[in-house]
Amino acid sequence: MTAAAEAATTARPQDRVIKRQLKPKRDWAKWGLGAYFVLFLVFLYAPMILMAMLSFQGYYGGVTFPFRGPTSVFWWKSIFETQVGGIFTHADEIGAAGRRSLWVSLAAGAVVAFFSFTISMAFRRRFRGDGIAFYVIMLALMTPGFLLGLGTQLLWKAMGFNTGLWLTALGANTVWGIPFGFLVMLAVWNRYDDHIEEAARDLGANLARTFREVTLPLVWTGVFGAALFGFTLTWNDFDRTVLLVLDNTLPLEIVGLIQASAIRPDLYALGTATTLVTLALIFSVLIVVTVRLRLRGRRVERVEEELGLEGAIDVAAAPTSS
Amino acid sequence: MSSSSPPEQPDIDVTELEIDVAELEEAELLGAAPRVERALGDVRGRKGGGWVTLAWGLPGFVWLGFYLVAPLVFIVLVSFWTRTDTGFVRHWTLSNYGVLLHPFNLDNSYWKNMETSFVTSVIAVAACLVFGFPVAYFLAFKVQKLQNQIALFIIALAPFWTSFLTRSVAWAYPLMGREGALNQFLLKLHIVSQPVSAFGFSQLSVRLAMIQLYILFMVTPLFFLLGQVDRHALEAARDLGGNWWRTFREVILPQTMPGIVIGSIFIFVLTMGEYGTVTVIGQGAVSSVGTYIQQLVLGIQYPQGAAAAVFLVIALLAGVFVITRFANLREEL
Repeated sequence: MTAAAEAATTARPQDRVIKRQLKPKRDWAKWGLGAYFVLFLVFLYAPMILMAMLSFQGYYGGVTFPFRGPTSVFWWKSIFETQVGGIFTHADEIGAAGRRSLWVSLAAGAVVAFFSFTISMAFRRRFRGDGIAFYVIMLALMTPGFLLGLGTQLLWKAMGFNTGLWLTALGANTVWGIPFGFLVMLAVWNRYDDHIEEAARDLGANLARTFREVTLPLVWTGVFGAALFGFTLTWNDFDRTVLLVLDNTLPLEIVGLIQASAIRPDLYALGTATTLVTLALIFSVLIVVTVRLRLRGRRVERVEEELGLEGAIDVAAAPTSS
Repeated sequence: MSSSSPPEQPDIDVTELEIDVAELEEAELLGAAPRVERALGDVRGRKGGGWVTLAWGLPGFVWLGFYLVAPLVFIVLVSFWTRTDTGFVRHWTLSNYGVLLHPFNLDNSYWKNMETSFVTSVIAVAACLVFGFPVAYFLAFKVQKLQNQIALFIIALAPFWTSFLTRSVAWAYPLMGREGALNQFLLKLHIVSQPVSAFGFSQLSVRLAMIQLYILFMVTPLFFLLGQVDRHALEAARDLGGNWWRTFREVILPQTMPGIVIGSIFIFVLTMGEYGTVTVIGQGAVSSVGTYIQQLVLGIQYPQGAAAAVFLVIALLAGVFVITRFANLREEL
């Protein structure tokens, strides 16, 4: 009998420990924390759900429970139509504010996507002063919106201009969106393989072509994510915009409804509508990204095959001399 | 021979030797890397290098300079300028600070607001940490599949994307308030005999709402860092006889400290500078530094408001400085 065989038959103390761990045992901590997580979600979502419920009240609806039926879309109609059931609504102002909000948010999304991408491209290499540059971006993240609004107003006043939606509110809002978009892009570049670009260049693509056909297609999900941040943060912003704008955006309009003489459930309908727009946008983008990630593995393989086997090398684009 | 000599001595020699070799190898690799890159034609740095980086970076930083740095600089500048009926002129003065720092004014509403805002922020940071940690811990350790982790995390994160203002409205009117759902619920269960008026448009309501609005700033970094905690280190701690609490304190907590610090900085700074939430939930009954400055701006007292804002910025910087003492972010990230 060899020593190894003998050792295998002798029970070792550590074997017992392992066996005990393998025994199926209910993880009470998991269930406890799970229950806590559900409570946490209730804490997060309850106010919004209550608000959504109250927005479906009837004509006599108030701003608190009990729910005054019948269940109807009366107040939802009132944010779109100037006159519903004999009462005048704020639909005109809401519509104008909504259009303004939509356009400025779309513009902010585009601006944030552009600058997040370009700044993150600069950060792919180390450069002199990159530490300070990074702190500037973090400063954009950390500056309370209200202070930024105040500073912007002072600056433009000193220059002799009036503040407005497009000149100042757009800029102040993109400052809040750029760091988020930048962080998204950093995450993208972290997982990005630089060798793909080198390969493209070795295969004869010039800088512009490499950028267009290799870099952009691989990172556009991140650019899109940055645009999404720019859009939603602007769409929902109040602190940054309040000092800069005379024509209401939707969040300012909501505050206007609060300060109106009588608060009505149309406030809830409007609040729920803006929230739903945001949530729908996020979840549709998430679905697109998930589907894309599923597909990407296959597609890259195919490209590599093409490059390697089918000889899809653009000879014309190759440099003629070196 | 082995029994006669002290047993530790040769062991130490061996390990030292191994470390030496490892270090030598590492040093050699580090030294070789630039050479290798040069040999490959330094692919990364080849195409124009600095100019390309400058071209990519410049537009964004010009934008940030104009819309972020310049406004902040102007707050400081205007705080030293003189007020006029329509705004301010460039006559340098210290009177804006003098008003705020005057001995008879040290207990005025500005410093009271500063104090309440500070207390609100500290409460928010502490509460978000205490209530947020179990959430992140559950997601990172108790949900097995990464896909499920991310799905649950996104469900928890989604409200962050929606309007803080709308969430404040939903908090103040349907839920809290004298006739809000919470009071009605408590009355039905006979926990209270009359509606709790402290729920509505009050400091308490504002502070609770802050937790609800900002807790995700704590959960998010914690979730990411807890996900990176080495599972083998946890097993090792358990095998070495550490109970749950010791494992938590000596293995998990040090590794999540950067997350706690980042979350705390965010929540401290953003709640201290809060304006919208206080306006909506406080309804004039509650004030903060933000609402105080807003009052000054509405009264066209820009330099005074700017000086008040400068003190707020100083308070924020001091707070951030204190918080960063808890972890060396540069080293640990």
